[in-house]
Amino acid sequence: MAINLTRRNFLKTASLAAASVPLSKVVAKAETGVVKTPLIPPGSFKDTKTAVGGICEMCFWRCQLVGKVRDGRLVKLEGNPKSIDNGTAICARGNAGIKLLYDPDRLKYPLKNVGKRGAPKWKRISWEEALNECASKLKGIVDKYGPHGLAMFPHGASAKYPMHFFEKTVGTPNVSEASFFQCRGIRDTAYVATIGTAPGENVDMPNAKVIMLLGGHFGENVHVSHLKRYLKGLENGAKLIVVDPRFSASAGKADIWVKIKPGTDTAFLLAIMNYLIQNDKYDKKFVEEHGEGFETMAEGISEWTLEKAAAICDVPASQIKEVADLLAANAPNVSIHPGRHVSWYGNDFQRERSLACLTGVLGAYGVKGGFVKPKGPKGFGKVSWPHGEHEGENLKEIAGKYPFAPPGTPTELIRDAALSGDPYPIKGCVIWGQNPIQTIPNQQRTIRMLKQMDFVMCVDVMPTDITMFADILLPECSYLERYDYIKKGTQWNFADKHQQYVSARMPLVDPGFERKDGVWITNEIARRMGYGDKIPVQSQEEMVDKILAGAGLSIAKLKAEDGIHIQPGKDPYGISEDFTVNFANEDLEDEGFPAIPTYIPVEEPPAGYMRLLYGRAPVHTFNRTQNNVWLHAAMPENPVWVNDKVAKRLGLRDGDRVSFVNQDGVKSRTTTTVKVTPGIREDAVYMYHGFGSMNPELTVGYNQGVDDQSLITKLAVDPETGCSGMRNNFVRLVKAS
Amino acid sequence: MQYGMIIDIDKCVGCHACTIACKAEWEVPAQFGRNWVYRLGPAKTSTGELAFTFYPGLCNHCDKPACVDVCPADPVEATFKDVKTGKTKTMEIAATWKDPFNGTVQIDKTRCMGCGACADACPYGARYVNPDLADDESEGKADKCTYCMPRVAEGLQPACVQTCLAGARIFGDLTDPNSEVSKYVKKGAFGLTSKNVQIGPNSRYYGSKKKDIELLKAQAPQEMPEASTRRIMLAKMMQPAMKQIRDLGMLGIAGSLLVKSMQEEDKE
Repeated sequence: MAINLTRRNFLKTASLAAASVPLSKVVAKAETGVVKTPLIPPGSFKDTKTAVGGICEMCFWRCQLVGKVRDGRLVKLEGNPKSIDNGTAICARGNAGIKLLYDPDRLKYPLKNVGKRGAPKWKRISWEEALNECASKLKGIVDKYGPHGLAMFPHGASAKYPMHFFEKTVGTPNVSEASFFQCRGIRDTAYVATIGTAPGENVDMPNAKVIMLLGGHFGENVHVSHLKRYLKGLENGAKLIVVDPRFSASAGKADIWVKIKPGTDTAFLLAIMNYLIQNDKYDKKFVEEHGEGFETMAEGISEWTLEKAAAICDVPASQIKEVADLLAANAPNVSIHPGRHVSWYGNDFQRERSLACLTGVLGAYGVKGGFVKPKGPKGFGKVSWPHGEHEGENLKEIAGKYPFAPPGTPTELIRDAALSGDPYPIKGCVIWGQNPIQTIPNQQRTIRMLKQMDFVMCVDVMPTDITMFADILLPECSYLERYDYIKKGTQWNFADKHQQYVSARMPLVDPGFERKDGVWITNEIARRMGYGDKIPVQSQEEMVDKILAGAGLSIAKLKAEDGIHIQPGKDPYGISEDFTVNFANEDLEDEGFPAIPTYIPVEEPPAGYMRLLYGRAPVHTFNRTQNNVWLHAAMPENPVWVNDKVAKRLGLRDGDRVSFVNQDGVKSRTTTTVKVTPGIREDAVYMYHGFGSMNPELTVGYNQGVDDQSLITKLAVDPETGCSGMRNNFVRLVKAS
Repeated sequence: MQYGMIIDIDKCVGCHACTIACKAEWEVPAQFGRNWVYRLGPAKTSTGELAFTFYPGLCNHCDKPACVDVCPADPVEATFKDVKTGKTKTMEIAATWKDPFNGTVQIDKTRCMGCGACADACPYGARYVNPDLADDESEGKADKCTYCMPRVAEGLQPACVQTCLAGARIFGDLTDPNSEVSKYVKKGAFGLTSKNVQIGPNSRYYGSKKKDIELLKAQAPQEMPEASTRRIMLAKMMQPAMKQIRDLGMLGIAGSLLVKSMQEEDKE
């Protein structure tokens, strides 16, 4: 409660303080027979019913919602007051969910492309025809080329069920999730190689004495309960270190901003570790009890003096020392944030390894304020498609590359195989809720890959860029119109009473038009492809109930508990005796990679070019929200941040319009405005990701701002994981006349 | 009492949830806002430090609201009641007024002519004319933040306060020395005032970092806007003309078409 009164008192005074309205109101009579909308909007509390069980999907954090429904229409979304995760708070995107639900541009009916891929002409067809077409085309490809003749690009919770059908039952290994290969995958496998577990974002920031963010820009990147953690930490007096080439929203709140040269983060981290080790400022007890290969690492990184790193990172040696000393003085209660989107430069596995090792050097595992994994609810049922009999190696194994890849197949290998037909042709493509035009570098290659397919099908809620290349386009229910996977967790502040929660996505309104949920669509296709006997559940409700049943819950029970079940939790602190930090990892060495964290330099910008950096906007999620009329109004385009000295040299003023040319001569299709600021390095420019949609059917977001991905044509692949590094491209700015 | 709101810029992360929640709650057209978030910086302050902060703005429900005096609507007598003490007060009000008991500034949309004089007069730009509410007597109605009085009356927090993930927005009674908002005022929360703009804003800001405060204070309006007498005159002259047109019913037909097309747009 923000108001310093007991809740009861507050309610009493608040209800007393009713808005005083003039008693002698003059009511204007409509004399023309015009039926006016009421002048005073009723507000969400007037004549609305509250629908519980909503789970947001405007990003992937999945805050718990309630919907205010009036006459069958959703008028407002709010945080579920019962939530111990986001509480009553939801972010800008969460609040704007109703504008996605009722977006007139949304997909409404199954469509068949009677034009060309990339220049579609859509014809409305029946579900029956659409499903028959998808099934017969996909089956034809499997019969002719084998299951590996298919590729799938899924994204988000909604695509798990169809993904498992194609991956396990049909048996294609060519599955690439942007959430792994262009995002978190490196982080997860690097931490697994270091501490045996994927980290999530599990740093106990509320109880930390120091928080260190490397590239994390909280406030511009928004996940509600995660931000609550961060802000509680700052409120409790945590010192904040932000390492970023740009003065981000987090840097604005930081005690130390390290204006690092892009691509050199690993050198910075190695110098910190070396300094701590050389000066006996590390956690000896922790390293002895839980460290593996510490001496090997200590010796291997001994060349990393403060001065050496300072020269490479282009920051003062004294500042690296200041950061190291601040961490050491407050160890082990320090949050070394693992990051989230980490596929940056193609040397990212090493950076993530370094973060995990630094956490170990500081002894910050399992302790208050350090890296702490919550102990969430357990015992849920599993719903999954059965594994079929499949033979042959996947592309990773054939190439003998990327042994530390996250689940799925590196995107680049899929695209290469499809374009070359080697080691095998890929002729069918299923795209489910992902927009590979904006998720994967080098759009032209993606487009060529799609054009050589025999069949492309897309399932989405919006006509995204990639849907222009579909033969069949299917309209899916949005997250507000369907049941879906459960969301579970604990309270966000481990200092509070330990509690666990379970909720499951439930529809707040009925699906509009002819939209169908992913379980139904998958099952109907599966049946027609001859896999009817393998179908694990008949409906989305059955799926959710089966998962919940394992924990003694059900949809009905959750509904009776206002959408969220809360149960006692467990103390998350402490680590097991056999918890190990592999400072040196022999498995890596066996595969031909460095056993200890190693700095791999990246290319410098050519003369006259600046490195293109991108990041998050608080009101947008990737490329999913630019057509949302409220969010568009809040941030219609993505201004490019240009250093003030550079701008002066280039003759650019704040607000000028520019287009871009990259190092390969690729030009941006659109323009955006210049934001001149001292808050970015001279060798880089920065913009929000996800703008400049190319599909004219997005009547709000079409061509608004510049698509950063269109300028990312030079590929950088992380050698251990095969993930796409997307910050190794360079641009010139061209003033628009 | 005097309702007020504190924005704690130490906590604010500039996420814009407040602005979108308000749009949803009060059906504010997409291109307008009853509140806003401006992103300030990154810029160098007078000491050469880099700063990057936010200006989450809304109506200030001022002690001496400039908008109230310029409203050209014919005054009516209205009686207000203090729900706490039962005291009543009768006074003449135009279509916008400051409530004598809770200190909020409100609008009677049924009598607003949509002339925009109040929007011009507000040095903070906190008012706009909502064209969605155009009727046969106006091209729209003045609209702004009401401190969510209808929600508060139901015992709820204002929509922006409820959705703020940072707990950066605090609403309460500034005349109650024990309220959270008063504690913030004691800690140094300030309104955005300047030498020539001193109308007693009751939406106030708190920050502990000098550099942030410097950027924020630079957002304070430096001059009171010129009262737009032309607009007021026009509004007055339009009134009888509007009535005549209405009798002809022409505007009624156009208006009904407009409303109908808007309703169709609303339906999916």
